[in-house]
Amino acid sequence: MLNETRRSKTLLWIGIAILALWALFPYLWVIRTSVLTNFAAVDPGTPYIPPLDVLSIDSFLNIWNRADFPLFFRNSIIVALSAMVISVAFSIPGAYAFARLDFPGRQVLFYTAVFTIMFPWIVLTIPVYDIFFRLGLVNTLVGVIIAIAIFTLPQNIWLLQGFFRQGIPPNIEEAALLDGNTEITAFLRIVLPLSAPAIGAAALFSFLTGWNNFLWVFVLTSDEEVRTATVAIHYILGSDVLREWNILMAAVVLLVAPPVIFYGLAERYVGEGLGGGAGR
Amino acid sequence: MARLELDGLTKVFEGDSGPIVAVEELDLDINDGEFVVVVGPSGCGKSTTLRTVAGLESATDGEMRIGGEVINNKAPRDRDIAMVFQSYALYPHKTVAENMGYGLHLSTDHTDEEIEKRVEEAATMMGIEDLLDKKPGSLSGGQQQRVATGRAIVREPSVFLFDEPLSNLDAKLRKHMRTELARLHTELNITTMYVTHDQEEAMTMADRIVVLNDGRLQQAGTPKQVYYEPVNLFVADFIGSPSMNIFDVTLRRDSDGGAELVNESFTYAISERVTNNFDAADGDEFILGIRPESLHPADETTPVKKTVRGRVDVVEVVGSDNFIYLDIDGKECRVRTRSAVEPEIDTTFDFTFEEEDIHLFDADTEEALAHGTKSPEPADQGVEEAAVGD
Repeated sequence: MLNETRRSKTLLWIGIAILALWALFPYLWVIRTSVLTNFAAVDPGTPYIPPLDVLSIDSFLNIWNRADFPLFFRNSIIVALSAMVISVAFSIPGAYAFARLDFPGRQVLFYTAVFTIMFPWIVLTIPVYDIFFRLGLVNTLVGVIIAIAIFTLPQNIWLLQGFFRQGIPPNIEEAALLDGNTEITAFLRIVLPLSAPAIGAAALFSFLTGWNNFLWVFVLTSDEEVRTATVAIHYILGSDVLREWNILMAAVVLLVAPPVIFYGLAERYVGEGLGGGAGR
Repeated sequence: MARLELDGLTKVFEGDSGPIVAVEELDLDINDGEFVVVVGPSGCGKSTTLRTVAGLESATDGEMRIGGEVINNKAPRDRDIAMVFQSYALYPHKTVAENMGYGLHLSTDHTDEEIEKRVEEAATMMGIEDLLDKKPGSLSGGQQQRVATGRAIVREPSVFLFDEPLSNLDAKLRKHMRTELARLHTELNITTMYVTHDQEEAMTMADRIVVLNDGRLQQAGTPKQVYYEPVNLFVADFIGSPSMNIFDVTLRRDSDGGAELVNESFTYAISERVTNNFDAADGDEFILGIRPESLHPADETTPVKKTVRGRVDVVEVVGSDNFIYLDIDGKECRVRTRSAVEPEIDTTFDFTFEEEDIHLFDADTEEALAHGTKSPEPADQGVEEAAVGD
């Protein structure tokens, strides 16, 4: 009986390991290629686990001299952070209104907002381009930021309203009103601090969406000065020039690193949750 | 400290299927320093009344006054009230001391030292001085309840509002806190409106009990009044545990001036002293109410027409007393007896009661007609006519 349990457990772990390897393989391959020398990266004879003499971090050092990677990364940071701030700033009052206030058309508005989450962005590219063109926002970072902020707004509203509805007991706000707050100050002094974990989660998702966004940058920009790293990598991949795979993969590693680090830091904070954070 | 007056207070909610009247024309006058417990079943409007007084709901109609001043249009923070919620509603991100001092920081210009001193005093009063640096999440339910009460008393408001503050505690702690709250009221003597669905809590704590049902005031009176002289069948049934035994009876007059209350299972003779209290003709239908503790075993000397027979269904031993549940032709009857009386299950059990202990209600209006040999007092609706200009 005991042996059987142990055997099925072993099988389970082997299964999980195979699945994990399957899922992680592309990422491992990217990391592997990024630390090879230029020649080893294109040599089909390079073993899966490469020998030490073909390993090099030159790609990570050379990347900053190639194309305009510093500019692309700078653009990515500006776009992701700005879109995050704008989207979160607008979604907090919006979500709170949906969660707590009773106003005409609340349901229709809410479901419209939620519906847009499911709507494929790509079908909107032409009207969005047209609008942004008329507003003079094409080929500007501001245009890209506004587009991403708008398109991440519904998911933030959806996420935060659920938290406001279930995570903050209305009685706490009522106690704050009786303690001397107005509706606005009760929200700012009591609800907002208690919502930090949820707001952190919303900010994280916004940042990731902005950082990884390809579509709106691709559609709304053509100049290199306003290109973000995701689109830049696409252009390099799609160009006919001799590809330096190790440098390209180093760029991908650098592209993936900030969201991973950001997530790693925020996840602990977000995971604290209301009860955990409040209980200490 | 102040007097709290409700004058025709009405609260209507707009529901999906039309308006819902939660509180209807409620007149209530709570004197300075009085402890009034509002009691009633779920959905009777008691919590809505409290929340309307607090300003968390707006009154649809009627007037509310604290210390003579109309508060209808005042924001909750300007009403000089403190409220204890059933869920305690402590701020989870603040320590106990911060929770308690928060209202003082916002609504008074006391210095930090003064606030700290008052928080410490209130904490000592509630026996939570060791918990001041802790966050609510690490406290037990009973401790959180104390903090919530402490947060209310530290404000020294004109009126305390309690919304079922003990409902989330276990039975033993609930009884303990009941005593503590009563003691606290004696010490502070602040006008208090306390809402509960627990009639035992109401009986033990209140100076005056207000019974609500379906948003309407049923009776306002001292615990003894609502217990011994309920104005209607609802109050009679709601107050008391186990609840009053209710029988449908018909009056039969006999030639010598006496009368009998006839039920399909028993006949009970009553004297003129009972029937003189109200207009009663032969054949009129009434509802007979009799409290479980007013029933006692019959013996050989008990007249037949004073004896009711039932079959023993269940005997509950609670220690001091026994609760005997009888089956009288399919109808349950509860008897509270000394612990020595412990009949066998499924045996017959004869019992009797004094006519001084019966309650008679009109079969249609369910209004009380007689409490034993006394006629009901005119119902105290809790409104003392205030002099003009008062």
